[in-house]
Amino acid sequence: MKRFAPFFALLILGGAHATSPALAAADEQLHAWPEVQRLGSGQTVYFNAWGGDPAINRYIDWAAAKLLEDFGLRLVHVKVTDIAESVSRIMAERAAGRDANGSVDLLWINGENYAALKRAGLLWGPWTAALPNARLIDWQGNPTTRIDATLPTEGYELPWGTSAFTLFHDRSHVQSPPAVPAALLQWMEAHPGRFTYPQPPSFLGTAFLKQMLLLLAADSGRLQRPAADDFDQVTAVLWEWLDRAHAVMWRRGRLFPRSGPAQRELLGLGEIHWMMSYNPAEASRAIRQGDLPDTIAGLHFNGGALGNSHFVAIPYNAGAKEGAMLVANFLISPEAQAGKADEERWGDPTVLEVDALSEADRARFESLQRGAATPGPPAEILPEPHPSWSTALERAWLERYLR
Amino acid sequence: MRRPGILILLLVSGVPTVAGLVAALWFGLDAAAFLRVLNTPGVGLSIASSVWTGVSATLLSLMLAHVVLAVANTGNWRRRLTALSLPFLAMPHLATGIGVALVLAPSGLLLRLLSPWATGFTEPPDWFSVHDPYGLSLIAGLMLKETAFLVLVLSAAQSQAPTGRLLLQARSLGYGRLKSWLVAVAPLLQQQIGLPLAAVLVFGITNVEMAIPLGPGLPPTFSVLLWSWFVDADPQVHAQAWAGSLLLLLVTALTVLAASRLASGVGSLWRRWAESGSRLRRERSLRGAACTIMGGMWILGILALVAILLRAAAGPWRFPQVLPSSTGADSFAAWSAALPGGSNVAGTTVVLALATAVAGALLVLPAAEALRGDANGRRKLGTCLFLPLLLPQITFLFGVQVLLVSAGIDGTFAAVLWSHLIFALPYVWGVIGPARAAIDPRYAAVGRTLGAGPVRVWMTVTAPLTLRSMLLAMALAFSVSVALYLPTLFAGAGRVATAATEAAASAGSGTLRLAAMHSVWLAVFPLLAFAAAYAASAAVFRHRRGVPR
Repeated sequence: MKRFAPFFALLILGGAHATSPALAAADEQLHAWPEVQRLGSGQTVYFNAWGGDPAINRYIDWAAAKLLEDFGLRLVHVKVTDIAESVSRIMAERAAGRDANGSVDLLWINGENYAALKRAGLLWGPWTAALPNARLIDWQGNPTTRIDATLPTEGYELPWGTSAFTLFHDRSHVQSPPAVPAALLQWMEAHPGRFTYPQPPSFLGTAFLKQMLLLLAADSGRLQRPAADDFDQVTAVLWEWLDRAHAVMWRRGRLFPRSGPAQRELLGLGEIHWMMSYNPAEASRAIRQGDLPDTIAGLHFNGGALGNSHFVAIPYNAGAKEGAMLVANFLISPEAQAGKADEERWGDPTVLEVDALSEADRARFESLQRGAATPGPPAEILPEPHPSWSTALERAWLERYLR
Repeated sequence: MRRPGILILLLVSGVPTVAGLVAALWFGLDAAAFLRVLNTPGVGLSIASSVWTGVSATLLSLMLAHVVLAVANTGNWRRRLTALSLPFLAMPHLATGIGVALVLAPSGLLLRLLSPWATGFTEPPDWFSVHDPYGLSLIAGLMLKETAFLVLVLSAAQSQAPTGRLLLQARSLGYGRLKSWLVAVAPLLQQQIGLPLAAVLVFGITNVEMAIPLGPGLPPTFSVLLWSWFVDADPQVHAQAWAGSLLLLLVTALTVLAASRLASGVGSLWRRWAESGSRLRRERSLRGAACTIMGGMWILGILALVAILLRAAAGPWRFPQVLPSSTGADSFAAWSAALPGGSNVAGTTVVLALATAVAGALLVLPAAEALRGDANGRRKLGTCLFLPLLLPQITFLFGVQVLLVSAGIDGTFAAVLWSHLIFALPYVWGVIGPARAAIDPRYAAVGRTLGAGPVRVWMTVTAPLTLRSMLLAMALAFSVSVALYLPTLFAGAGRVATAATEAAASAGSGTLRLAAMHSVWLAVFPLLAFAAAYAASAAVFRHRRGVPR
């Protein structure tokens, strides 16, 4: 019973929203689920989601086909290079006074972008408690489903998948893989030009900075509170490590791959011997698809892996809110989540509490195979630092290395 | 009848351009944002690298085009040269940039061809052969496109000047082929190609299409930096992008101004050189060098196309394999699997390009008809239509986007079509306008004396005579539309996905395999359009001789 507590809390929040006269008068109310289903069927939902990975695009296409079949709902994947594009789009629409029928109905989001939209009051909600499948989520066992980079989600975004920062290396070039920062640096000095990381402020590049800072900082607990005047002092260890690393990195640290997949491509072509991902199954999947050789293996840092959940949210001016809720509810159904966790398709760990599912649904997850390059679970999940650290780290990185 | 056609044409092209520029000024004039732009790490270097790459690429392309034309100035060679340039002209900047990156990268096609037998490399070297901090690979990529363009522009200008006579005279005075061209012909041509040359310079400084796949990374060129700001979540950064785009406009305008001042300075030096009577020493080796560079560029261009096809088909492609390990049906299956909705993207690209071609021709025809006897009017209209090409796309298109959003028509097919027309019309006009004027008015007069009305005369006499140039103009408009990235992105609100937007997005995130897959469409569609135009006019006129082109 206890693990449902957050769910009830959300339900109450949702209910409060629906009945509060001020809010109901101001905007839409939360419809009861059958009503949502009735209104959402047949709608066209513009789902703004990162479109840089063919496998993920295929998965979304599959979901679109299912939704069309089940609800006559048209899900359109608006592929963006960075979800920040859609965030700025919503802000531009706000500035232009388009407060209804906005161009984005649902967006794939977390961390800074969520914080930015939430702060500006540009998210609709709370809505997640109204979804029938929301009760299947592992709210209690996986706190990152409730807390997005130290900000509570409060029903404004729905967890869609989880991640753990993972390093991958090419076994034919890296014999005894280093799993602590100091040893990694030693390896890099012995093999100049074969390590790099995606350029901050790209999603994964910033993640690498946060992961290293969490491992190197004297007091990693400090990172849970907003960055302040002590930023330089806290991060000095990180810059020291990076300065030494850049000197022996790919292109001497004067050029960086622009994204995670770009780095994966470099690994596949043989330019570098390492890559990183938030998704522990990424290399296994890439090997199966023939994008990477089968000599790749994964590992987590001994000090723990940076972890988080990623979410979907509905903008305040979405034209198809009910349709977006139908999509979201489908995305967290056991069928969709098991498909997402399948390494042959995406390989993204589920947000559901698998043990609490019905036997048939549990079987969907238990039949999934783990690939050879997928490491076991990390020693510890290190929660995301407060979003202010991401912004400050990105800025400091650019100031330091862009001159 | 006369005025409305011209007016509509001017409105279609001018309204969004002027309004976009005004909106850009309106939103961009923000002192605080300007300060933030100037305080951005690396911004000075970024602006400098934009100007450096744009100016050097333009200058080198121009010199190369002149030398090559000087060498190849017999009818046969000129035709061959034009034919050789056409594929490079037809291939969009974006696809060319992606292809060149796939050739020149340390793990690219060139080193694979040479490794390990010649270089000894079994692993890709850690070289800055693309994205180099000095922008050399970007300059090479730009030269590949712009030299071909300038060769074509110069050959067209050449037919307007008494080139043959001038060259003959200079040669008979004992000057070599190169100096004859440079002092007798080149100055005349330079006067005619001012606008296209300025457009090349502006594009060189402000483009993202080539700077994304080839340009420096830390910092990127200024337009790429702006592009990344415009897609940032933070509204402060957004304001910064507006201010920055005005700064880009200013920098570009100053560079063009300085270049034209410099050109007149060079002009007087040139005159002194011409009057000195000195013969150009080492002319032979200069010509040889130019031909070698030209040949090298041609090979680079062909390799770029091959590299796109290989990379699109390749699954695992470890260095130094020349061919990907999976081939044939396998890789085709992988390709179509990797491109869900790939056929949609291709479909949208083609439909949009066809609509641009048809609408472009329909808009231009009445104006061409009205101005058929007015050379001065034609020149003025051509200049007006050309003006949008002299503006940094990034500056006025963001203004256009805000206007479209507030009108609630962003993301519609019509909005994207309109934005494409802005860029296609100057070319359509450039082909149809003169071609219509070149038709001897006596043909129509004969028709009228035989009792046919104006409509019938147009249908039976004028239309067939303009058909060939109309088809060529439509092929041009088609290929311009296929290549357009920023207009599609901004007017399309990210909802209209074409091969260009997909290829640019993939190249922007550094996933060159995906970029190569979309580049296949980018490279193939324009070629098909030109082939179709030639085939169609050949089929229509197979029983005719002497129909004017």
